Amino acid sequence: MANLATTEVRSGPPLSSAPPTFAHPSEEMFAQMMDFYGIDWQYEPRTFPTEWDAAGNTIEAFSPDFYLPEMDLYVELTFMKQSLTRHKNRKLKRMKELYPDVNIRVFYQKDIEDLIFKLGK
Amino acid sequence: MNVALEIPRPEAHPDIERILFTEEEIRARVSEVAAEISRDYAGRRVTLIAVLRGSVFFLTDLARALTVPARIDFLAISPFTPRPEPGVVRIIKDLEESIEGEDVLLVEDVVDTGLTLRYLLRSLTSRLPRSLAACAFLDKTPRRLVDVPIRYRCFEIPDRFVVGYGLDYHQLYRNLRYVGVVKSEVFRG
Repeated sequence: MANLATTEVRSGPPLSSAPPTFAHPSEEMFAQMMDFYGIDWQYEPRTFPTEWDAAGNTIEAFSPDFYLPEMDLYVELTFMKQSLTRHKNRKLKRMKELYPDVNIRVFYQKDIEDLIFKLGK
Repeated sequence: MNVALEIPRPEAHPDIERILFTEEEIRARVSEVAAEISRDYAGRRVTLIAVLRGSVFFLTDLARALTVPARIDFLAISPFTPRPEPGVVRIIKDLEESIEGEDVLLVEDVVDTGLTLRYLLRSLTSRLPRSLAACAFLDKTPRRLVDVPIRYRCFEIPDRFVVGYGLDYHQLYRNLRYVGVVKSEVFRG
């Protein structure tokens, strides 16, 4: 198994203090949802190398969007259509092979919309 | 445990793509779960707490199938509204009676992420019941984000948007006697 290379760990503070810059509005919504339920979260706290060149340099890596410490769970939000996620799914599959002890869940656009709809009732 | 078989069945509402559980299947399964609960709580009194509004039909059928004394109560929680300020989840309709020292069974229509159930179990635990357990009509495990203890469940379902038997889409379809999958063209507008 590869060594777990980590980037600087950033905590997920309450949005009211120092919110990170989210790459997508739905990421902010997910963070708000976690805050709503009092779930601690971290935004992109860790990068997992998934491919290396012959010299051992990382040439591909995966940074899940969120980490939920209480559940020891990484969450990746995907906003592409499910049919267009082949490359990301390949990276995910590779990550699971290299880091089998890491728990990760993928939420697709439809999942997020369903979730917000349901919780918003 | 019963798992949904997604086979097309006749006589569904025009907006329903397929029926997951018929009225007869629901009745039979609720009776089985009620018998299990009655065995586990034999000699005791159970307080059933339903989360409004989706659990109402399940609660009434479950309660009437129990053979142990049962109290019923209801609560409701605030909806998540992402903008401008989501706030935090809170109980907007509280219980009418104290549950301190009571054997409490929280009755949920569907558990998917587990976020709501986690919050409710924590909230109710702080009220010092003698025991606290969860009973779900539907368990949508593919969507689970947090681990929550569910002692009783009627059906596991796939990750599909379902309505009927209390579950709604824009407040409609709750009164269907079965559980069905809404057609995608209805769901997506």
